[in-house]
Amino acid sequence: MAEQNPEQPAENAAAQPSEPGQARPARREPAVQVAEEMLNERGERTATHLERIAGDAAVESGGRDEMPWVRVEPDRLPALARRCRDDAVLKADMLHCLLAVDYVDHIELDYVLFGIGSGHRLLLKTSVPADNPVAPTLTHLWEAAAWYEREAHDLFGVTFEGNDDLEPLLLFEGFEGHPGLKSFPLHEYDEW
Amino acid sequence: MTMHARSTETVDMMLNMGPQHPATHGVFRMVLSIDGERVVGVRPHIGYLHRGSEKLSENESYGQVVTLFDRLDYVSNLNNELAFVLAAERLMGIEVPERAQYIRVLLCELNRVASHLLFIGTYALDVGAMTPVMYTFRERERIQNLFEHVTGARMMHNYFRIGGVKEDLPHDFAARVRALVGELHKGVEETDRLLTFNEVYLARTRGIGVIDARTAISCGLTGPCLRGSGIAYDARKDDPYEVYDRLDFDVPIGEFGDCWDRYWVRVRECYESLRIVEQALEQMPEGETMAPGRRIVRPPKGEAYVHCENPRGDIGVFLVSDGSDKPYRVKVRPPSFCNLVGLEPMLKDAYVSDAVAILGSLDIVLGEVDR
Repeated sequence: MAEQNPEQPAENAAAQPSEPGQARPARREPAVQVAEEMLNERGERTATHLERIAGDAAVESGGRDEMPWVRVEPDRLPALARRCRDDAVLKADMLHCLLAVDYVDHIELDYVLFGIGSGHRLLLKTSVPADNPVAPTLTHLWEAAAWYEREAHDLFGVTFEGNDDLEPLLLFEGFEGHPGLKSFPLHEYDEW
Repeated sequence: MTMHARSTETVDMMLNMGPQHPATHGVFRMVLSIDGERVVGVRPHIGYLHRGSEKLSENESYGQVVTLFDRLDYVSNLNNELAFVLAAERLMGIEVPERAQYIRVLLCELNRVASHLLFIGTYALDVGAMTPVMYTFRERERIQNLFEHVTGARMMHNYFRIGGVKEDLPHDFAARVRALVGELHKGVEETDRLLTFNEVYLARTRGIGVIDARTAISCGLTGPCLRGSGIAYDARKDDPYEVYDRLDFDVPIGEFGDCWDRYWVRVRECYESLRIVEQALEQMPEGETMAPGRRIVRPPKGEAYVHCENPRGDIGVFLVSDGSDKPYRVKVRPPSFCNLVGLEPMLKDAYVSDAVAILGSLDIVLGEVDR
């Protein structure tokens, strides 16, 4: 492999499929390719089902090649999340991650759902305005949501309607401000 | 005037544990509500170690963020580094040289063994067995020595790069790993024989802290905590990354979801990891260890979510790029943080004396819980 031209690894590998004296299993090309295709196929299938379930609630959708996502209005999120969880095909039974991204004028909330048995992985997106960040809670669907929502409340100031336990989790009590926001200064504040 | 019967109402006693408590493995505090000897409720308090790693990442270049990931879960550093570099590579569409992928997998699996050994030793200590910790630390030391030899650091390696690894392996690596695997196999077996079916150990862990599969999934448990409840979910199998799809290994699962099952899954994972190390060493090709022609990391605008199997569970990294040389947002899905959500159902109706055993069986690392 030392003489291989680093700029054209694919061509080289294709041109010399079986180098003598190298008793190694599968070169890079086939194995990775198969994995990629499986992922794409699964992504396609997930996207198809997700769009079926979301129906007219979906404002926007995408990510068919990797992780399919749909964007919905905040008030339609709990119903859609429940349908994804209970759907016979998707069975997205784990809330894998919830994160907030501060886009200055709005805060985007991304819910990553995994189907542990079914293997489907998908993303539900919703946005709340920065001046009134209120989203519905998902704690009635997943116990895991409780801590994620407390964290998002800590760091981004998002309030989750229906979750009455939004006590600071990562920050200490009495901490002023929401350090996850882009507007939070990194240096110019009194720490204690 | 009416006579009131003397009230026989009782109130639950609150018992504070932590943040400075040797059995919490860091700065973790929980407030137990107890009724006699039974735990009726628990309120965990975290955040004592919150350093704002996610926020800090937004102000570092992509290459520098790797060092922050080292410091999240400080007993499985390489596994954390891998999660971040995979996310950045997916955003940029980098194809990593095969040799670098094998190096990463091999080191990650050794790191997994080191992490599990630390768990086995300290967990045995938690439930009252003094000896195993000496054995497991001896074995772990061998792995740390190898890491030092390869990366130059015992813990904060900063060895994985976006597009490959820092440098090629030292010339005597293969020989050292072969010797190490033999020693580790012996070492794990020794501890296994000493501890696993010990009568006292079984009494302290069997049937304690049971969590059923449904609750475990709802709480977001992953890794050995989920597999202990009988769910064979492993990111290395279900969503293979790097070269895991070419390696032959089993995913051990438990039966009842109790503390012993979670322990037993980890012990068997050590053997599986050693199997992977042997295969990876066997299959590792010669060649480059860094994808060519990239010095400045500047991913295109977009976002990527990558998850991979950390010794503690599924670590996820959500990376948002705005096209500049610094990430716009880095979100870590920390496995220990999510596993801690399962503490409440596990502790419900347990004895106070089992609280330490149950908490220990989750194998939390507070650096990663608090970030």
